[in-house]
Amino acid sequence: MLNLKIALITTYPPGNGSLNEYGYHFVRFLRQKTGVAEITLLTDDLPEGQSYPTEETPGLVPLQIIPCWKFESWHNPWRILKVIRHLKPDVVLFNIQFASFGSKKIPASLGLLVPMLAKVSGYPTIVLLHNIMETIDLKNAGFNSNPLMEKLTRLFGTIFTRLLLTTDWVALTIPKYVEIVEKKYHTHNVLLAPHGSFEDSPALSLEAELAQPLQIMAFGKFGTYKKVEQLIEAFRLLQSENRPPLELVIAGTNSPNAPGYLEGLQQKCSEEKNIRFTGYVPEEAVARIFGEAAVVVFPYTSTTGSSGVLHQAGEYGKAVVLPRIGDLAEIISEEGYTGEFFEPGDPSALAEAIAKVLDNPERRREIGTQNYIAARGLPIAEVVDWYLLHFQALLELRDQSANGAALPQPSGQPSGQPSGSGITILDFGLGILDCMVAIALNLKSKIKKSKIG
Amino acid sequence: MHLELRKIESVSILELSGRFDAYEVGPVVEWINQNMEAFTTRLVINLSGVKFVDSTALATLVQGMKRCRQQQGDLHLCCLQQPVRIIFELTRLDRAIDIFATEREAVETFGD
Repeated sequence: MLNLKIALITTYPPGNGSLNEYGYHFVRFLRQKTGVAEITLLTDDLPEGQSYPTEETPGLVPLQIIPCWKFESWHNPWRILKVIRHLKPDVVLFNIQFASFGSKKIPASLGLLVPMLAKVSGYPTIVLLHNIMETIDLKNAGFNSNPLMEKLTRLFGTIFTRLLLTTDWVALTIPKYVEIVEKKYHTHNVLLAPHGSFEDSPALSLEAELAQPLQIMAFGKFGTYKKVEQLIEAFRLLQSENRPPLELVIAGTNSPNAPGYLEGLQQKCSEEKNIRFTGYVPEEAVARIFGEAAVVVFPYTSTTGSSGVLHQAGEYGKAVVLPRIGDLAEIISEEGYTGEFFEPGDPSALAEAIAKVLDNPERRREIGTQNYIAARGLPIAEVVDWYLLHFQALLELRDQSANGAALPQPSGQPSGQPSGSGITILDFGLGILDCMVAIALNLKSKIKKSKIG
Repeated sequence: MHLELRKIESVSILELSGRFDAYEVGPVVEWINQNMEAFTTRLVINLSGVKFVDSTALATLVQGMKRCRQQQGDLHLCCLQQPVRIIFELTRLDRAIDIFATEREAVETFGD
């Protein structure tokens, strides 16, 4: 029986950094698992006056929350590693994406070094990476408009992906990502761990429950690649046609990369009473927000990963309207979801797609039901079990290594080997110099292996 | 989804055929709920007739394996078709569940 001490580096409510929702639900189910002795969340610092929950729930795995990093800070690697060293967890899990630690290049890059540093410090490490650089449309995602800078960013993206791949496993949420990474980086230490649905047994929202005015809802963190200007224009077009009263609900907050975005829009729309900005949606209000929506719209110009919002829409049996771009279309086909599609950049195309769902209750039900079945397919509780199996396998490998047994190396796996490859030197006293030496040793060993291979 | 049950000594063999996905997973879940623990903890699932599995099917198999192991038994898989094997490799669950090329191997590995 496992008795795992897990350190999870993640955002977590009430922090509003990206992936906080995923972190919350992942932890919710992780706390229910046998074989887990203790969970420590290494979260981002909260603004003054806010605090993380501290109450203990009997019957659940004890949870400790240690705020030890900050979006855009240069000090994150040292602060996080210090806590990991102090905790001495059995395994370290990162719930991250490329911009988790910052929107500026240096803090974002420094943060992405932490998984590798945890690994070279001797801790079995898995990175759940929600996006990959290869599929991010940097220009539309609001990161780069200069072609030279875009090339440079991609180069750094490639380098940092390689560094993330020095951990034991990099878990990706859709099959296409696994294929791309395996092919480009000639690596086998990536695995598919689907996103999973947040609710274990969600109730299907019934059409009969929908009240007037019918709500068109967008949910998320807005301002970079999730932009609502065209949705607002589309909403105006829909209203100008002969239709029952409608309401546009923009639920969520600014992306950490776009402070002030929603406030600016809200000011511009202040005269339009049927456009509602909810601001931050606390966990307990999420079900109501989705339940009341007639259709959930994804006003994305790009995607940077699989969509938690799509999974949530599915859990509440909602019809969705999606842009005809990258990852979302992929998820639709691979995970059994469906929706109406529109060409991004054209408000009338968006209005047309929304109208198809809004004006046809039968179509709305059909899409909602299919999404509900897709979302119910794999609850996050099951995905958490998969991670535990991977943790168990890593620890078994580590134990075999410690006992001096020959390591059962996965085929062609460059870095899946447990600590014991000469890199556990940092178990004690991890200074900056030690880190750099370990990184150099690790990279040298990788280069040597790839030459041999 | 078609299920067929056989027994070789103390090992139960569940042979599945058809699609094994979110839409078809029900009978297998029901079988596991009804039979596992009380009836068998040494289970071989023969997937030779299964051409497609999705994540829901994988989750069902993982749950089955966990339940067998909780009762000091195990769940072995055998005779995976290529598309099914690819899904196991993609998720790396092939490292967590014992997979065998033939039913005979899957049964014999249980020993006495």
